[in-house]
Amino acid sequence: MRRRNLAPYLFLAPNLVLFAVFVLYPALNGVNISLYDSTNGRTFRFVGTRNYRELVGTDAFREAITNTAVFVACFVVLATVVAVGLAALLQRGLPGSGFYRAVFFVPVLLSPIVVGLVWSWLLERRGGLVNTALGAVGLPEPGWLIDPSLTMGVSVFVAVWLHVGLYTLIVLAALRAIDPRTLEAATMDGASARQRFWHVTLPQIQPSVLVVVIVSTVDGFKTFDLLYTLTGGGPVGATTLLLQYVYEQAFKPPIRYGLAAAGSVVLFLVILAVTVVQFVVARRRELL
Amino acid sequence: MRRWGTAAAVALMVVGCAPGIRSAGPADGDARPATAGDLRGVQIDYTYFTDGPDEQATRDQLAKFETETGAKVKLRVVAFADNERTLQAQLSAGDPPDVARVLNIYPFADAALDLRPYLHDQGMNSAFSDAMMAQARGPQGELLGVPSDLTMNGPLINRDLFDRAGVPVPDRWTWPELVTAARQVQAATGTPYALAMDKSGHRLSTMLSQYGTTFFGTDGKPALDIGRATRALALFAELHDTGAMPKDFWLESGSRYKGANEIFLSQATPVYLSGNWQVSQLAKTAPFRWSAAPDPCAERCGGFPGGKHTMVFKEARHPRAGAALLEWLNTAEHQREFAAQAMYLPTRKDLTEQGVDYPRRGSDMRVFLDEVERTPPDTYASNASPSFSRGAEALVDEVSRMLAGQKSPAGAAKSLRDRVDRLYREANR
Repeated sequence: MRRRNLAPYLFLAPNLVLFAVFVLYPALNGVNISLYDSTNGRTFRFVGTRNYRELVGTDAFREAITNTAVFVACFVVLATVVAVGLAALLQRGLPGSGFYRAVFFVPVLLSPIVVGLVWSWLLERRGGLVNTALGAVGLPEPGWLIDPSLTMGVSVFVAVWLHVGLYTLIVLAALRAIDPRTLEAATMDGASARQRFWHVTLPQIQPSVLVVVIVSTVDGFKTFDLLYTLTGGGPVGATTLLLQYVYEQAFKPPIRYGLAAAGSVVLFLVILAVTVVQFVVARRRELL
Repeated sequence: MRRWGTAAAVALMVVGCAPGIRSAGPADGDARPATAGDLRGVQIDYTYFTDGPDEQATRDQLAKFETETGAKVKLRVVAFADNERTLQAQLSAGDPPDVARVLNIYPFADAALDLRPYLHDQGMNSAFSDAMMAQARGPQGELLGVPSDLTMNGPLINRDLFDRAGVPVPDRWTWPELVTAARQVQAATGTPYALAMDKSGHRLSTMLSQYGTTFFGTDGKPALDIGRATRALALFAELHDTGAMPKDFWLESGSRYKGANEIFLSQATPVYLSGNWQVSQLAKTAPFRWSAAPDPCAERCGGFPGGKHTMVFKEARHPRAGAALLEWLNTAEHQREFAAQAMYLPTRKDLTEQGVDYPRRGSDMRVFLDEVERTPPDTYASNASPSFSRGAEALVDEVSRMLAGQKSPAGAAKSLRDRVDRLYREANR
């Protein structure tokens, strides 16, 4: 009996050891380091909660929190809506839909750094392809990457462009799993296309949409390399997200590991809170 | 409940210890200069970052050192942006290289080997000017490293464009004269801009200094004069607002550094405000006639210094051999050879006075070398401050806000002073 109980743990042990060494220990040690001040990673001075108090009192950190909230909210909503819309279009089996499915998915295969650099060249105010095209037809040429009121929107757009292919595939798989007889029945009952989508299709793909919401939320919070190469967090900090703030504290000299670790803990708590809310909502609706 | 108690105990065990490592002393015994026997067959690890032309010059020097001493030098080249992080990680792991090229010594001061007992020639102790030794000297007079090359900020001009516009380049000029000349060339030749500057707080510190102020004074305390900084920033803002300088260039890259050399190389500007490290690269790539020009004066003259240091670590495997290499590289003979090949400015007092015979572009290097003597002492002190890098970042941020129309020059200067004060307080907490 005892031997039988031990077996599952033995199977799990290798993964548990790896998890403990490479995830759990660094995470707990990160919490520990957030209570110290270190400018070199070798000498640490205990400062208690001072790093957290310093974060709260720093304009740049508060700005990064606000930017992160705006970016993640806009990204999740837009990515989900676009993914559902594209999946619905592809599901209709229009000519060339196979080609377009591949086209939508290609950005997912690209490095976010490459995507950020390419879009930064496309969106340059002077000489960028987008503004050159706008100028050619007599339209104004906005400063996509230098106007603080435009840059966040551009950042969300590029992030959606990068990720939406994968989300579309998730929703498309759910759409294909719908029993066509339910739609036929609704049609026979006189439901319009819009009614069929809202009252038949959408309820059946809700679990997949929730997966897209959760994955896009995590992707949104994890966005760093894309925006670092696209906007550098600018102009004037308008697109500096929490992860970039943490990176700059930790790795741009002069190093401040304690402050960076405190920022990471805050980021972890925010993601944890958002994820818990999402799971609670899903459980209540019996989606998970 | 018991399960939670166990988990909490484990967590406490993990986090309950202060992070970090204990430091040990030098690994190869007593502190004395290396003998020939100490060097023969020893492999010296040298972590290095390159600005481009210096790498081959360094490799040639190391090959010569190997031939002379029988030692082997393993050069590990890392990216500039990763250098400090790499070295800190190696030190944390207790496995630093023997020798390292660093921008600043102060992040490693506690791990630096005091070179004095390892030197064959104690003259090395006083071979460099006091201004450049600000970081290399420990609180008890220790020699924690040496300034191995000096950089000097200053303008580079497109001679073809100046000649085509018929605008002469004087031996000395003020900021208004420089701006007027650049604008005349822009108007006559149709270039998009009159001036371009690297997006860098270090480069812009040159302008602040010329208007009479620096982040920190010679006593290391905050010294930024709001009135003088406002005058410098007002001119900088006016140059951008009128299109004489590229505003997009400053705002597009966020907090990242961006060089304006491509703007200069594409002949989109007749004047490029950068520094002597561009000389070697431009000599190879510029498809037009160009030259270095004197720094413009406002309230005072001179440029703004920068540079690199070389140091040896206490916990290195071969600190004695590392110190011998560092001393060899920085003798007058070898530093002269290195500076001539890499087209760098020397850091030794004797070489600064004598000058270096550069095989090409010697007149341009002479322009920068002359600026060394004109550059005020507080610029060296400010650049050597542990808080300078953060101050330079704050300057970039404040100027970006000013160019985006969020702040006036006076507001940006006032905020900058507040941030410099805060950085000083944090560094001395």
